[in-house]
Amino acid sequence: MAWFVGRRLVWALFATFLVVTLTFALLAASPNPETSQAAWQAAQDGSDPEEARALVDQQHGAGDSLTTQYVSYMVSMFSLDWGQSTTYNEDVTSVIANAWVYSAITVIPATIIAVVVGFGIGLYSATHQYTTADYAATLVAFFGVSIPNFWFAIVLMLVFGELLGLTPISYDSEVPFWSLEHLSYLVLPITVLATAAVASEMRYARAEALEYVSATWTKTARAKGLSETAVTIRHVFRPATVPLVTILVADLVGIIFATAYVVEVIFGIPGLGYVSYQALVRMDTPLVLATTLIPVFVTIVANLCQDLAYTVLDPRIDYEGRSP
Amino acid sequence: MTDDSLLSIRDLRAQFHTDEGVVRAVDGVSFDVGRGETVCLVGESGSGKTVTAESITRLLATPPGRIVGGEIRFDGTDVTSMAEDELRTIRGSRIAHVFQNPQGSLNPVYSVGAQIGEAIRAHRRVSRRHARARAIDLLESVGIPDPAARVDDYPHEFSTGQKQRVAIAMALACDPDLLIADEPTTALDVTVQADILDLLASLQAERGMSILLVTHDLGVVARLADRVVVLYAGTVLERADVVDLFERPAHPYTRALLECLPGVDGEVEPIGGTLPSPIDPPDGCRFAPRCPHAIEECHAGGRPPPSTVGDDHVASCLGYHREYRGAIDLERHPTAEETQRVSDRPDAGIDGGGPR
Repeated sequence: MAWFVGRRLVWALFATFLVVTLTFALLAASPNPETSQAAWQAAQDGSDPEEARALVDQQHGAGDSLTTQYVSYMVSMFSLDWGQSTTYNEDVTSVIANAWVYSAITVIPATIIAVVVGFGIGLYSATHQYTTADYAATLVAFFGVSIPNFWFAIVLMLVFGELLGLTPISYDSEVPFWSLEHLSYLVLPITVLATAAVASEMRYARAEALEYVSATWTKTARAKGLSETAVTIRHVFRPATVPLVTILVADLVGIIFATAYVVEVIFGIPGLGYVSYQALVRMDTPLVLATTLIPVFVTIVANLCQDLAYTVLDPRIDYEGRSP
Repeated sequence: MTDDSLLSIRDLRAQFHTDEGVVRAVDGVSFDVGRGETVCLVGESGSGKTVTAESITRLLATPPGRIVGGEIRFDGTDVTSMAEDELRTIRGSRIAHVFQNPQGSLNPVYSVGAQIGEAIRAHRRVSRRHARARAIDLLESVGIPDPAARVDDYPHEFSTGQKQRVAIAMALACDPDLLIADEPTTALDVTVQADILDLLASLQAERGMSILLVTHDLGVVARLADRVVVLYAGTVLERADVVDLFERPAHPYTRALLECLPGVDGEVEPIGGTLPSPIDPPDGCRFAPRCPHAIEECHAGGRPPPSTVGDDHVASCLGYHREYRGAIDLERHPTAEETQRVSDRPDAGIDGGGPR
């Protein structure tokens, strides 16, 4: 087990290293917006644009060899010295430190809702296949998967915020963090985030559970005299968790990150997605880099957790790496 | 046919709703299982034997399956009218099942000890420790070597034959009165098959339980059965003591089945034609389209009533019926032309394997 965990950890570190290196290569190959900005500024001020360009380049170490640049880049990446954000006039790390909480308060509840509600409905659907409830769940799932989240967010704002006046429309970070009022600001963003994720998890849960609903061991379990609830939970859901965990991580990370971006921008929540959007619009390279790499790191860690969960959930997985 | 039968099934009917129509998988099956007795349900794939076996404790998947008629009495109680909760107290504790595929009948994510313990704890209020200790005893009684070490192993760590032993241990967890074994050896290697049959025989001798064995294998029947029920297209064609059945088979179908066995003279006589459609079964005798002795009356009306042909030996064939006894000569060996006629008959049936 320790050997397996160790190997997985090494792989995760290697993946991180690879991603950071690739990012460096991309950055090295692309022009620095700051230099052109400085040149343009200089031209407007009547000084020499080429001179200004050279000055900025020098500040960024353009004179150094690629290797020296790479080493200093890697050192600062891994020592969490991610540079200055021109948008926020702050260290990138402190911008991230301030922003992640606002992402967490929507992403974490949405993930929990997606897993609990999605799996719950999926399991019910599978054990009640072809009933009205199953068809209704399928309909809701297709709605959730198909509906564009940016549009859904705007419609929710319009209906619940504008027409019914039940919820605030735009996020206000002045609201006390631990308060019911704060929750009222979060209801709509969480709803939008959870909708697609719930629908997706529900479809997977239904498909995986269906495979075990008709398994001989569920018949065996029933023949033993177990109740339907025990059969569903112990003999349908429990074995289904093995494939579900595999799908869960990749799927949730994908849906939640993509949706969080849109949701934070639309509702004006100053989370990582919003920060990333601002950085992109203002060509704030260090911040763009940070907000792009963070989801990647989260995914790597999530994949690591998934691999570990897999060995715990499925006794057939041999973590010693020997063939079974 | 005694009043103190452990299990008594009368005119059982079970159907499946499919897109093609209603499949009459079991269409009026009656038989009894006495205490301490082994009864074999014999038939081809699709003859309704599994559906019959799974109707007893209502394990039949509903929908699409449905028990539409008949009566099943277990130890004097009508189980067909029982509520689900009530039935559950019988399942596993008084009537246990062993299924065909040991590969699939154990859940891969729990240890075998946990799965046996689950069967015990479903009916008895005992501690986990106690259940585990009993699981070890049960594993020992079904011939798993070193049970104390293997009780915490997972199903994938056992061979197929051992898995079937574990499945049997699980079935025996609450000392059932009736063990229903559905093709328990079909998925196993021939050498392992014999071991499992011996195990079933010795367990029965030890515990005095009844066994209802579902099989298509007459070799298995000869080895274990006290009495035999021959099923064909959802109906019972013959019921007899095992010795009677092999020595004096009465129904033309049973005779044809026995002909299929590789005999001493090495000649194997296959039965021409296929099973009739379970959706729209033929009138009269279900076997008539394949029967070389069939006369016009066999193809019309209801199914032939059971006729007593010996002591506790019943066959549903017009050849034994008072009115037609002279018209059908069952002892005459069919001519080559007659056999040919049966094989050439336009095929109205589907090939075996009814819905499960």
